Amino acid sequence: MKQIVAFNLNGSPVEVLVKPSDTLLDVLREQLRVMGTKRGCDSGDCGTCTVLIDGEPVRSCLTIAMTVAGKEIGTIEGLGKDGEMDPLQKAFHEHGASQCGFCTPGMIIAGKALLEKTPDPSREEIVEYMSGNLCRCGTYVQVIEAIESVASDKGKE
Amino acid sequence: MKDLGYFAPTDVGEALKFLAEYGDKATVLAGGTDLVPRINYHELCPESLMYIGGLGLDYIKEEGPKVIVGATTTWTQIAESTVLLDKMGVLTGAAKQGSCVAVRNTGTIGGNLANGSPAADLTVILLALDAELLLKSSDSERMVPIQDFFTGPGQTVRKANELLIEIHIPVPAGETSFFKLGRRKALTLSVVNTGVHLVMDGKQCKNARISLGAMAPTPLRCVKAEAFIEGKDVDEKVLSDCAAEAVAESTPIDDQRATAWYRQKAGKALVTRALAQAAGIEN
Repeated sequence: MKQIVAFNLNGSPVEVLVKPSDTLLDVLREQLRVMGTKRGCDSGDCGTCTVLIDGEPVRSCLTIAMTVAGKEIGTIEGLGKDGEMDPLQKAFHEHGASQCGFCTPGMIIAGKALLEKTPDPSREEIVEYMSGNLCRCGTYVQVIEAIESVASDKGKE
Repeated sequence: MKDLGYFAPTDVGEALKFLAEYGDKATVLAGGTDLVPRINYHELCPESLMYIGGLGLDYIKEEGPKVIVGATTTWTQIAESTVLLDKMGVLTGAAKQGSCVAVRNTGTIGGNLANGSPAADLTVILLALDAELLLKSSDSERMVPIQDFFTGPGQTVRKANELLIEIHIPVPAGETSFFKLGRRKALTLSVVNTGVHLVMDGKQCKNARISLGAMAPTPLRCVKAEAFIEGKDVDEKVLSDCAAEAVAESTPIDDQRATAWYRQKAGKALVTRALAQAAGIEN
């Protein structure tokens, strides 16, 4: 029995017909074909499917799509304006914070959520906050440095 | 996969009516952090899902000598609660250590209990704190002491027509502690965890609650270890012997996270540390 769920995706309203067992990740990738958000473990362990629901980072693979009715969903596609990358995306690029790139969308979404809440986090705060995002290439140090650079740039402004 | 029905009631009465009618077919969905992986991996194909995130059960309130926590209160809400930090900081501390930010934002305290995982972190503390669980159905309600709630791995006394509504936690009279050991620091299920609550009178232990997780088919109250330490003057030897008693009550198994042998060794060390911290003894 399919039902309609309506929510905002990166600021634009969408309506999708879903099965009750469909996750938000299923809907993003397989129906809306918004492919930035990746499917890793499908069990909440890896973090690459991290999206924002009303500004808070959550696992889209653990989120039943029907439960996001009326909510604001933010994905990696929502970052950057007019062809310009978001400062955190630029920092990831400049610091070599992605190798194969598979974890990067989740890393950047989590990093954005951290900086939104704590504009100038300590290294410990960054490590703690980002601990839910795994990178099998091992770019952790570069990820931390990229987030630190955006934080300190903000501090200078 | 089977086509499921989805129902998202907006008040408790509506939810209980639905469970009265479809309880044996309906699976209750709260944060989904335990349930949805099982659906994704086709280990579970519920005929219908009832989402309880819209029932307004996410609250933490002080009521006389206890704190009442609504069943859909998230780990993040617990970690950030000033009431809990003031009255039972052991719970906020444990909530901060749980999994990671994104999972804490959706995972709930009710789910941690109702899933009946033997390794559940918040549950092991609630055992040491003598929490009581309010279960409601459309025509009755009951309070279940937490040590009577679990019946086996993934199994509880909750009936199909009942919903876990609230957790009632007495403000601890003594000192509390919680320790977990995982395979890594973050984002990890416990290999073993423990909660301790000791009421001390000088060096003497007046009252003890000791719990162990991931060491038995259910989260475990170690009643023999509690009886062992109550009335005794506490020193390092007593703590270590008490921890050995606690582990002797457990029945750990080998699984993907650790062997039973390792769990016994680590469990004893962990309980000793938890006891020492609660008793205010250097260890």
